[in-house]
Amino acid sequence: MTEQTEAIRRPAEQRYAAELAQLAADDTKNPRPAGWRLSPRAVRKFLLGDAKLGIARKFYGDDPLADRAIVSLMSQQGLMLVGEPGTAKSLLSELLAAAVSGTSALVVQGSAGTTEDHIRYGWNYALLLAEGPSARALVPSPVLNAMRTGRIVRFEEITRCPPEVQDALISILSEKALALPELGPDAVSMAAPGFNVIATANLRDRGVHEISSALKRRFNFETVHPISDPDFERELVLKQLAERLEPAGIVVRGEREVADLLVRTFQDLRTGRTAEGVNLNRPDAVMSTAEAVNVLHAAALEAVYLDDGRLSGMHVARQIQGVVLKDSPEDGKRLRAYVDHIVKERAGRSGVWKEFYQAARSLKLG
Amino acid sequence: MEAPPLHDPARDLWIVPIRHHSPACAAHLERLLAAVGPKAVLIEGPLDFEPLIEQVCDPRTRAPVAIVALRDAAKDSGNRRVVSYFPFCSHSPELIALQTAAASGIPARLIDLPSTDPAMMPGGDEDTGARSLIGDETPFDVGDYVTALARELGCRDGNEVWDQLFESRIAEPDWARFFADVGQYCACIRGAVSSDAMTRDGTLAREAQMRALIARHRAATEGPIVVLVGGFHAAALIDPGRDKVVEPKPGAGRSYLVRYGMRQLDALAGYSAGLALPGFYERLWQARETGGKALALDLITGFAAHLRGTDLAAPSLPVVLNAVEQAERLAALRGRPFPARDDIIDAVRSSFIKDEIPVGEVPLLAELRAWLTGSAIGDVPPSAGSPPLVEAVRDSARALGFTIADGERRTRELDIYRKPRHREASRLCHAMALIGSDFAQRTAGPDFRNDAGLDRLHEIWSVCWSPNVETRLIELSEVADTLTEALAAVLAEKLAKLSQQGRGRSAIAAIDLYAAACRAGLGEAADAVLDAVERHVLDDPELASLIAALTDLVLLRRSREVLAIADTATLDRIMAAAWRRILVLLPELAYCGEDQLRPAIAALADLRGLIELARSSGAPLDLALFDEALARLGEAELDPMLAGAVTAFALTGGQIAPAALEQRLRGELASGYVEPADRLAFLGGVVAIARELLWTTPVIITALNDVVAGASEEAFVALLPHLRLALMPLDPRETDRLASEVADLIGADPNRLAVLVALPEDDFAANLALDRELHAILVRDGLA
Repeated sequence: MTEQTEAIRRPAEQRYAAELAQLAADDTKNPRPAGWRLSPRAVRKFLLGDAKLGIARKFYGDDPLADRAIVSLMSQQGLMLVGEPGTAKSLLSELLAAAVSGTSALVVQGSAGTTEDHIRYGWNYALLLAEGPSARALVPSPVLNAMRTGRIVRFEEITRCPPEVQDALISILSEKALALPELGPDAVSMAAPGFNVIATANLRDRGVHEISSALKRRFNFETVHPISDPDFERELVLKQLAERLEPAGIVVRGEREVADLLVRTFQDLRTGRTAEGVNLNRPDAVMSTAEAVNVLHAAALEAVYLDDGRLSGMHVARQIQGVVLKDSPEDGKRLRAYVDHIVKERAGRSGVWKEFYQAARSLKLG
Repeated sequence: MEAPPLHDPARDLWIVPIRHHSPACAAHLERLLAAVGPKAVLIEGPLDFEPLIEQVCDPRTRAPVAIVALRDAAKDSGNRRVVSYFPFCSHSPELIALQTAAASGIPARLIDLPSTDPAMMPGGDEDTGARSLIGDETPFDVGDYVTALARELGCRDGNEVWDQLFESRIAEPDWARFFADVGQYCACIRGAVSSDAMTRDGTLAREAQMRALIARHRAATEGPIVVLVGGFHAAALIDPGRDKVVEPKPGAGRSYLVRYGMRQLDALAGYSAGLALPGFYERLWQARETGGKALALDLITGFAAHLRGTDLAAPSLPVVLNAVEQAERLAALRGRPFPARDDIIDAVRSSFIKDEIPVGEVPLLAELRAWLTGSAIGDVPPSAGSPPLVEAVRDSARALGFTIADGERRTRELDIYRKPRHREASRLCHAMALIGSDFAQRTAGPDFRNDAGLDRLHEIWSVCWSPNVETRLIELSEVADTLTEALAAVLAEKLAKLSQQGRGRSAIAAIDLYAAACRAGLGEAADAVLDAVERHVLDDPELASLIAALTDLVLLRRSREVLAIADTATLDRIMAAAWRRILVLLPELAYCGEDQLRPAIAALADLRGLIELARSSGAPLDLALFDEALARLGEAELDPMLAGAVTAFALTGGQIAPAALEQRLRGELASGYVEPADRLAFLGGVVAIARELLWTTPVIITALNDVVAGASEEAFVALLPHLRLALMPLDPRETDRLASEVADLIGADPNRLAVLVALPEDDFAANLALDRELHAILVRDGLA
């Protein structure tokens, strides 16, 4: 268990401890699958909010997806969340694990260095040498821990692991058991009810591995998409900006107009088509809502600490190149074309676009 | 919002609120009719359709069918006819009511305004999109009330709200409570619509008519009456009112009962009435007795079985089981007694697709939607008439002298150049072929598209007016009333398909379509296709396909009179765009890889053909620009073969003198290349572009002769195969011609060029035996 008294970011079950307790208290009539802390309906309320119980909405944009994800966790299949970076896949998996199992701490972080030991079990070598293989010397992985206690284990960024390591999950998912041959011929850890796996993956990013068909078959896939409604995305961006600024006691002005500009720019570049129906070249860079919040946050800090506290199109223009120019130099040209044609046209009609245009013109975009 | 009472005891009137095409409403209506035992049934439907009720109830009628109504548009709105449909499917409450009334021998009457009344066509005659005569049901899907309710219930849209609240109750026995709830729901929806809007869209006028006709039938009937109306109207019919009946005007319009399809039913739902994906509701209707218990299992296994017959990957049994389980659990989570439409779609989405789903439609989900829409087409008794598109095509076919009374196959010869009537007939045939009816197949005739058979004066067609022709026309009659409209719809569909198939970047396919549209006599209306051609042209990165495309356009333009292209402005603009693009890409050839060399040479040869065609047909291309582009290409360091091609091009265009070519050729032939092939590559390039230079420009042969004469025996043998390769494009006649030129040059006897080599009989027999032996070996080794 984590024992930090103060952390940059606390896990979901701590952040929302009061809401989870409230839901558990209210959740007496609905049937609960074995091993679950809450009923599926209460989990749904935890994700999507419930005004009557004072539960805040935490997952936006695709309610049916939340239903499908909850139902998949009840089945024999694991749940695979895929989609572009920055679409709140990890947040969703954290919230689901916190609501279903009461903890989101059982995590395997996928990387090129992930080995089978992280999925199965390792050894305390001092004990192993002293006593030989014993239950005491065995160091269970988060997956084995989750199996023993009937909880959800999260596998973040599974496609960052080599396929042969990923495939260690295949038998765990189909047999719901893990053999421990070192402890004796019959030593097996059986998964307690409530065990399941939520994996998150990015299938299209650079430097990711394939997932074998055998493993794919053991998962239900859910694609998390960027938010498509600009008004809604703007509200969300503003809300998250406020969440970041308020604790630090920072106040900015003019953020609504600028957020509108930012979200429209992001939506245009993300879809390769403006609201007016003009086609443009899409940058390769990820233009997610999370990135939009980062840009707005950085722009707000610049406005407050280095300027007069009024957020303007200029601040956004200066921050946006950091997002767009990450991936490929071509993206700079695409942003330049967007500025020269679309933004220029809008600059004639609105002050904030004009500021954005003037500042963006002077950027070195290649 | 107060719900209107279901039963008005004072008038013994049961005003039953329904939603069109709702199986739950149909099932409860059956129960209600059995319990109430009415003496008459009144249905919301155009009054002038009453004569067709008999056909609707005919035992040979099989849903889906529709009553199609047409009337002439107002004089100032052009010459269009207004067409509207009143569809029935097997689970339409209206059809259940009509059939029940017919079976129990009580009268069934229609109580809406006549279909010709202006209030039935809100938006005026121009609004050709409003084609449903069933009341507008968009308030079920949009509006603050439905949106708020959807949010409250955790549903994604009004359709899911309806499923959750009502379709889920299809098997409940309590019909009175069910209809009270439908009434309540519809009254709330009505409460959110302003009376201004209801005046504008004709709702209030229609309700006045319903009140008046209810009063009339009430006065004439003893015993209980059941009135079946869209739930939206129920609240307005409680008050008896003092309205006057609007009688149908005799001869104001015509109506027919026609075969209809599930697909059209769904398209219709797209704009106004009924529930989307009617195939799902048809299954629900069939499962009404079991309360939808096995619905998910039936549908998901049925869809999996359907997938096995398609190109899409079929799911394995565990996946199917998981999907069924998923659907049942989703229904439980969402508080439904059995999985509704969206639960099943969600379950398939989660379980069947093991990959990221891009924004927009994925093939598997599109297939699911199509499958849940259904493809069944109904049937009507032989006494029923036909829709306007069928009538229009029949009329023009008859007028152009085609026999359509029987299904015999006939041959028709059309003199398309001299007889305007024959040209019209040809256009009809082409149009019918383009819309995909198998009315006519062309067996011979000039091909303007491919520049073939242009000397032919006649087209020969094999024509046959089979029932399939009418089926196709009825299918299209949902989107079109005239052949021109049908063509436009088909063209739009084909264009959309073209970009889906990934041939989007090739202009050729789009031009094929344009040619077909021109032959079908679409004239300027075909310009929409040209826009697509232009897009493809601007995107096309391949010189070869651009040249092919422009050649096609020039050919089409040349035949513009026969193809009825009166205004070539658009065509000219696109030709100019393609030409510019070719000239931009031409100098790029210098940098093509070795493997692209042959295609590049072939493209250049085509380009020469194009230029000559453009010159001879007077196409408005700025040919002078070509010389500049060619000169730019010539400036680059070129592969010898490409250099040969470019030099030959320049010579035919008169930019260089024959002496320049000779000098270069001698240099290449005598060069120090290691491979003999490279020495002849230049000549190969020349021959590929302009082989006539071999005899029109004698210096080439002279130079070649000097090199051959000066070569040693060994060097000549090494050179020979490549020389043959370079001269391969020549046909036998040209080879003979070249041979006699060479004979002239070296003073040989032209008669000795061809030598007949006699073969002794023994050798011949031995060769034959050898051949047989070889064949036997090949057979033995399984290679024959």
